[in-house]
Parts: sequence; C-alpha cells; structure tokens
Amino acid sequence: MSAETTMNQPTDRPQKQVGFRRLFGGARTHRSQHTGFLSIAGGLVAWELVGRLVISNSLFLATPTQIAAQIYNLMRSGELFIHMGVSGAEFGIGLIISIILGIALGFLITTNKIANAILGPWISALYATPTVAIAPLIILWFGIGLWSKVFVVIINATFPMIINTEAGLRATDPKLIEAVRCFGASPLQVFWNVMLPSALPYILAGVRLSVGRAIVSVVVGELFGSRAGLGFMITQASEVFNMPRLFAAVVVLALVGVILTAGARYLERVLQPWNK
Amino acid sequence: MSDTLEIRKVSKLFGNLEALRSVDIKMEAGEFISIVGPSGCGKTTLMRIIAGLEEPDAGNVWIGGNKVTAPGPDRGFVFQSDSLLPWRTVWQNAALGLKLNGQLDAEATERVRNMLELTGLAGFESYWPKQLSGGMRQRVNLARALALDPAVLLMDEPFSALDAQTREIMQTELLRIWEVGRKTVLFITHQIDEAIFLSDRVVVLGRRPGRVREVIDVDLPRPRTLAMKRQPEFVAMVDRIWGLIETDVRNSVKEDATNAA
Repeated sequence: MSAETTMNQPTDRPQKQVGFRRLFGGARTHRSQHTGFLSIAGGLVAWELVGRLVISNSLFLATPTQIAAQIYNLMRSGELFIHMGVSGAEFGIGLIISIILGIALGFLITTNKIANAILGPWISALYATPTVAIAPLIILWFGIGLWSKVFVVIINATFPMIINTEAGLRATDPKLIEAVRCFGASPLQVFWNVMLPSALPYILAGVRLSVGRAIVSVVVGELFGSRAGLGFMITQASEVFNMPRLFAAVVVLALVGVILTAGARYLERVLQPWNK
Repeated sequence: MSDTLEIRKVSKLFGNLEALRSVDIKMEAGEFISIVGPSGCGKTTLMRIIAGLEEPDAGNVWIGGNKVTAPGPDRGFVFQSDSLLPWRTVWQNAALGLKLNGQLDAEATERVRNMLELTGLAGFESYWPKQLSGGMRQRVNLARALALDPAVLLMDEPFSALDAQTREIMQTELLRIWEVGRKTVLFITHQIDEAIFLSDRVVVLGRRPGRVREVIDVDLPRPRTLAMKRQPEFVAMVDRIWGLIETDVRNSVKEDATNAA
C-alpha cells in the first residue's frame, strides 16, 4: 500500500499511483516525459559521436559508452561503493545536522526578537557568501577525515533551512492563529497545530535546496583533502588524466543528485496530502 | 447546554480612538441576537473581548455566572470561511476545539459525528477543506463550534464570503440547526436583511465611538421562511435599520475614499 492511501484520503476518489513515473515525472503528461527521455537519449548519442569522430583523443573527452563501462567495472570491483559510502556518510550526517539545526535556528529567530537581532545579520551575510570557499581552511582545522567534510556541509546547507523555516513560520495566516486561540489553544498548541504545518512546504523546499548544497560541499571538501569519496576519485582521476574515471564519478554524482531531489519532492507530496 | 451572555458597559480605547463606548447587551439563554453596524463600529473588537483575547478598559463580559477572562470552551466561534486548518480533514477540523481542550473522549467523538450529520457533512469526514465549496466549509466551521457544546455561539460574519444564493440557503440551514439545540447566538453581520431574518433582536451599532444605537425586536414567527423577506413588515424593518446607520455608512465610505487617495 502506498503511503498516500494511509493518509485519510476520501475513499470514493481514485487513488493516485505512486511509482517511478510519478517520482520523476511529477504531474507531467506522458508526452512530455517522452520528450524528456528523447532529449537525454539524443544528447548521449551526440556526445558519443563527438567523442568518437571529432575529439577522439581520450585525454580530452570520454564517451558515454566508456563511462558506462567504467562505472560497470568500478561497481564490479566494489571500489565505487567504497567511495560512495564515504561520501554518503559525510553527506548524510552533514545534511541531517543541517536540517535539525536550520529548523531550530529558524524557529528561534522567528519567536525571539533578541535572537533575531543578534543572529539575523550573520545569517543573511553567510547565506549569500559562497562558504565553500573556506573549505580548504576547514580541512586544515579538522583534518582530512569525515568530520571536516561534515562541517563543510553544515556551514553551507544550514542557511537555506534557516531562511526557509523563518519565511514559512512568518507566513502563517494570522486569522488561523486567531481562530485557534479563540478555541483556547496554548502557544505550544498554536505552534504544533498551525505554525509548523503552515511552514512545512517552505521547510521541505529548504530541504531540497540543502540537498544540492550538501552534495557540492562534500565534493569540494574532498577535493581539498581526503583519502576516499567521489570527490577524491575526481581529483585522483584528473591528476592522471583518466577521463572515463573522472566522468564516472561525475555521472554518479549527477544521478545521486537527481534521485535525492526527486526523493525530496516525493517527501513534499507525501507529507502534505492536503496540498495536491 | 445554553446560557446567558451579558456584555456589561464594555468600553475600549485604542490610543485616541474610542472603539467601544459602554456597550451593554443582555442575552437570555437560547436567544438569537444579531449585531449590525457600519465598518469601524467596533464589532471585531467586541468579538475579541467576548473571546477573551482582548481586555476591555471598562466593563466586563459574563457567560452564565462566569466572568470572561480568557478563551474557553464555553464559547464556540464561527469565523469567515478561511479559518479552517487546511492540513486537517473535515473530521479533524470539527474535532479541533475539543482536542485543544483535551476533551475528545468517546462522548465528544459521538457529538462530533452528530454535529457533522446535523450540518449535512456526513460522508465528507475525510475530505480536505480545499476540496469543499465555501458553503460546505462554513458548515464545517459551524460543526466545529457546536461540537464543543458551548453555552454561547459567536458568529463573526460567517456568510460574508459566500455568494448571494448560497448565503440564503445557509441562513435557513443555520435556523434549522439552531432550532435543534437552541444555543444562545450572537451573530455579527453587515447585511441588514440577514440580521432580521435570523434574530429575535437586532442590535444596531454606531461608529466613532462604537456604541449601541438602538435595539430592535423582531417579532416574526418561527420557523421562518425566505418568503418572509418579501413581506411588508420585513421590508419596513430593513428600511428602519438602514435609516439608523446610513449616515455612518456614508461617512465610513467617504473616509475609506480619503484614505485611499
């Protein structure tokens, strides 16, 4: 049973199917999915032809078939999974801390004027700053292990969470708050029953932004100092001009990005069945 | 349960603006009173004071024998249509007041069921508010207030967002539902004919300062039908109330125009 059918849907309405197509296609029609698929396939064919006929020197470009073969080999030897595991751990730990920290800080600056006065300017400044730029410094401080990358993720992925949580909480309809207060709701009940659900779309959109930032942070962090991970693979491959290997890591990252973003979108739908 | 509502000489100032001056209304248990008045007559302020969200500068509000100091489940509220929680189903919205007050026991659950049935919402329990029409959403609002079994029902322009036809239907529906429990109802509206059609008495407020201009007894027999709105006595009563507030309304329109310019 899909998650949606458990969420109190009116039983006399047809259930929407949840599956691969919905996950990636959203509300799009069959035709535009077709077009999307053809666009990707056409691009790959063109790439392959250019790689074979125009820039045949493999130092300059790897073709899709070479990359696919490389990915296959890396998977068979298990090497790919080791690197994915390292990067995945850095990403996962960093993202979870960013989400929790971001929601907590967003809530704090919305409800507490003093906290807002103290933290507000810092948050605005750091949100717009490309903090990946100080990744080398963080590697210096925290070493080349897991936690330096986790820290890079946190200083990049937390800010969209803070800003979106704040925007969402502030966007709560004052009429709804008033209505619920008339029914005797305590401040805590107002928060749980009105403000948080109202802010949820903003918070989940923030998660989607943070996922993107976290992936970039992991890779950049690894470029500057690491022993394993997809970013490490990229550095290593580029140093010896192993283009198929370099592209293999990039493609895996792109795929992971697509899947995670789709997952975040899926989460947005499942957590807000009233917003369809 | 139904009880008396007494608004005793309530006054309220906002800076220099006198929102309410010694407003005094006494309601019997089971009475239906409407308040009409122009914009800026302090209707909203009065409602917030009765809700316990605002404190009067003088006077006070009593429900039964109890003085109002804070919000409580002895008052049920019906607001304009946008006050349902979009992330709660019809059922969850109707049960909200009880849940917030920690009273959602088996008996209360049964009452929610009955109120949804009474308001014509049986079968729609699992719908989201978004899936309902404006009239249906107002039924949910009404069910939510009635589910608390309050001593007093306070309705703040509940039909103002509805189209004219739906509005008429909802007025007759409200009377049908009211006949079942005979709650004490204080109904705030802009529409004079709506006030007369529903009420035992109509309180006419004036503006700047907000005060009671006149209280008009409506002695039309119950149950009432929409045809009564076309009877000469009814029309005469509408004219009389309109005459009482016309100058105020014109002033308020003029003021809006100056503010907009």
